Amino acid sequence: MTVVPAQQSGGGGGSSGLYDVLELILDRGLVIDAFIRVSLVGIEILKIDVRVVVASVDTYLRFAEACNRLDLEAGPRKSPGLPDIVGEITESGARGKSKGALSGAAETVSDAFRQAREEGQAEPRPRARKTTSSRRKEEQE
Amino acid sequence: MSTYVYGIAASSHSALPEDMGGVGDPARPVRVLKEGELAAIVSDAPEGLRPKRKDLLAHQNVLSEAGAGGAVLPMRFGSVAPDDESVTGVLAERAEHYQERLRALDGRVEYNVKASHDEEAVLHRVMAGNPEVRAATEANRQAGGGTYEERLQLGEMVAAAVQGLEAEDAAEVQHALEPAAEAVSAGPESTGWLANLSFLVNREEAESFLAAVEEVGNSHPHLEVRVNGPLPPYSFVEPGPSEHAETGPQV
Repeated sequence: MTVVPAQQSGGGGGSSGLYDVLELILDRGLVIDAFIRVSLVGIEILKIDVRVVVASVDTYLRFAEACNRLDLEAGPRKSPGLPDIVGEITESGARGKSKGALSGAAETVSDAFRQAREEGQAEPRPRARKTTSSRRKEEQE
Repeated sequence: MSTYVYGIAASSHSALPEDMGGVGDPARPVRVLKEGELAAIVSDAPEGLRPKRKDLLAHQNVLSEAGAGGAVLPMRFGSVAPDDESVTGVLAERAEHYQERLRALDGRVEYNVKASHDEEAVLHRVMAGNPEVRAATEANRQAGGGTYEERLQLGEMVAAAVQGLEAEDAAEVQHALEPAAEAVSAGPESTGWLANLSFLVNREEAESFLAAVEEVGNSHPHLEVRVNGPLPPYSFVEPGPSEHAETGPQV
């Protein structure tokens, strides 16, 4: 379980929570037709269909790889309701050839997820990467 | 000189921020424009304003400061009026509407909750709950990893199961937190989280809302739950926030 409360007091604010609520500041809030809005070029990168991320050949291959290497017994967050049969299958399947690689399994799984998400962001909009980095640079000014 | 608008409050608001730094470099001082029973929190609008980190923060900080002293309708970032007169003109024209909204949001704050999966834990769940995935994984292992086609097939199965769990967990998070809030509004979809929900919470009930969030985290060990707030009620400035979630403005 991870609950991270990011409290923002009335007076302060602070930058820690800014990224987490960026889409609200940019995409919610009152709009008055008579006013113009400053250009938000590059900001539409925030709105990406989540389905695009998961449904790609690269993601499938990574998931398959992750599952092949997943050590159901040694996982730090082993599911409590895991049926015994899973353990047996994994044991017999993993014993021998993949035992040596299992220590890296946890990282592999998280890496697969992270890469999949990152690529999903970049792939549907090939030009977006440049826009994103220039935006980031501006935000840091 | 055009006018940058941060938000709208009642002119009786006891602590409107004046002279604090707003957007721009150097930061333009924040001013208050009053029109009847309403007030607009504004500053001069800098030339070539862009959504830079510093300016987004300034927008957010001005609204947090104002919101601490009473209800404020936060503007979306980047709203610029041609001049002060057009701001007071809008206040006069839509006075009744804004006053209704200010009354509805008085004493309320927004809490934004984002949930994502703990990656390893969710793959464990997928394996545990799907005999087909386990069988396919096992078959591929026996075959030294499996062919390209076999790996693709397995990965597709896993991806579908992960998506299913994402939808399930998103519904569960909303369901668990709704009773602790007065209204809920779905935030913009994006990558990196399976649920992005904003809740309108009475300030006095903030503690029990935060306790409910923690409970969701505790009872769903495969979820990472992040809560941000109290925030200006960005997601609830239009009437009918629950419908707003479905039909809200798309950028």
